[in-house]
Amino acid sequence: MNEKLTALIIEDEKNICRFIETALSKEGYQTAKAYTASEGLSLISSLCPDVVLLDLGLPDMDGMEIIRKVRQFSHTPIIVISARTMEAEKVAALDAGADDYVTKPFGTSELMARIRTALRHSRPLKEERSEYRCGGLVIDFEKRLICLDREVIHLTQIEYKLVSLLARQAGKVLTYDYLMQQIWGPYSDGSNQILRVNMAHIRRKLEKNPADPQYIFTEIGVGYRMREE
Amino acid sequence: MILSDLRDRRPPITRTLLLHNIKITLCYLAMATLVSSAFFVLSSNTANVDIIYIMAIVLIARNTEGYIPGITAALFSVLLINMVFTYPYMSLNFTLDGYPVTFLGMTLIASLTSTLTTQLKEQTRILNEREHMLMEAEKEKMRANLLRAISHDLRTPLTSIIGTASSYLEQDPVLSEQDKSLLVAAIADDAQWLLHMVENLLSVTRIDDRTASVKTSLEPLEEVVSSALVRFYKRMPDTRVQVEIPDELIMIPMDATLIEQVLINLLENAVCHGGSPVPIRLSVSAGKSEVRFSVRDFGCGIDPGSLTALFDGCSSAQNHSSDSRKGMGIGLSICKTIITAHHGHIFAENHPDGAEFTFILPLGETSYE
Repeated sequence: MNEKLTALIIEDEKNICRFIETALSKEGYQTAKAYTASEGLSLISSLCPDVVLLDLGLPDMDGMEIIRKVRQFSHTPIIVISARTMEAEKVAALDAGADDYVTKPFGTSELMARIRTALRHSRPLKEERSEYRCGGLVIDFEKRLICLDREVIHLTQIEYKLVSLLARQAGKVLTYDYLMQQIWGPYSDGSNQILRVNMAHIRRKLEKNPADPQYIFTEIGVGYRMREE
Repeated sequence: MILSDLRDRRPPITRTLLLHNIKITLCYLAMATLVSSAFFVLSSNTANVDIIYIMAIVLIARNTEGYIPGITAALFSVLLINMVFTYPYMSLNFTLDGYPVTFLGMTLIASLTSTLTTQLKEQTRILNEREHMLMEAEKEKMRANLLRAISHDLRTPLTSIIGTASSYLEQDPVLSEQDKSLLVAAIADDAQWLLHMVENLLSVTRIDDRTASVKTSLEPLEEVVSSALVRFYKRMPDTRVQVEIPDELIMIPMDATLIEQVLINLLENAVCHGGSPVPIRLSVSAGKSEVRFSVRDFGCGIDPGSLTALFDGCSSAQNHSSDSRKGMGIGLSICKTIITAHHGHIFAENHPDGAEFTFILPLGETSYE
């Protein structure tokens, strides 16, 4: 009877691998590690880990390729570890099926938070969450009602759709493309200006200071992330 | 020496060049023949025919590479004139009066023009190449300077990390727990600084080397500011920044990652050099055609003498002890590089209570309604 959650680390840098391993075991996870992509893939199928931490710069296979291969047979949450200034890479990984990413260098607390979020989203509760609550912000999904500090906030149809989409997956970064597809459908044009403008309107309604937001955060070049409950 | 070197590197006659030569030669000859025929048929005046062909030869020599096309064209023209445009028509007659003079004259004109144009082309090529080499050398010099500055700035924290780590490892038994955590904290601090440095350098690689410009897209002002603040707070959790931005939505064409980097650099600079408990102020104001970002600290201000040299990099190294790692030399010069690549400008000034760094970005023509 092993109650521990298993995390698989696929990373070719031994030092980073060790540091993640130490942090994870301290938090009560059981860890396995792989230094190459092929090793990692076989471990995913044999071990069925609860969460996979994947470095995109592996020597033997392209990171996107791994994500695509894993997604063919498993829904295990994948958290991508990537270097900064590679937004395109992050977006591609997220669109290929990765659940989240952390940017190198990352602190252990940040990594743990991402793992918890990914795990929570990977095990959907029996009944859909009926509300989102964070600080002074409450969203009632059934009544389609948003209250900020006990005051009802009026949003347009599209603004509400956006906020509820972000809130239902709070803590997870949603890419521009994903949001565009979900709200405006697959045939929307390539520019995401309309999304940016709507987000700006939402920010003006929900945040006290749009430059120092409390609820919805921007991941430059990637997408948006809603604060977790 | 360089000249002869350059001359040897003349491009060889390739197939495409040969084709190009043949095409031009045939084209001009055909045109000359056409015009001459027209003259011949309309006025049966053959005096102009020579002139037309000479013109064609000059043009051919001017527009082709090497001597061969011009001379070939001259030869061909002489034969053609002899055969078509002089009596007896449609037959060659080499005993014609003055024929050798025409022949020689045309060949001479062709070869002279070819020589002249070839020389001219060669000279412009050499000049271009020399200019290019000078530019390369200048770039190389800048690169070397930057590298020197970087390695200097990198060495200091690295030395400190190595020293601290080795004293931790060697004197493990004698150190108290408190000493140990102090040492490790120092390592973490230096490593953070190194990382910041490397991120700065990495950001510069996003700027196109040749055109010194960046790929811009319209980004909402508030998103960039908020994202920069989040990253800044992550690095410096104890500081507070007072932010003021315009109420309306402003979209600015920029590379958001780079502008984020500039904002972080300026904020950090304000914290490190301002050294005042009053919160830093980041304010953004928008005009019709530009947006103005200001970072204001309430510290001791900047030495007026170094105001202008501030963004040239390594300025602090000369004035103060060259080991001070607080020198934001590279950080500020990278800010300048980034802002210049956005066609904006950046400057520093003193105000009564401290220093203020300002950069201005053009809004461009594209505005979102």
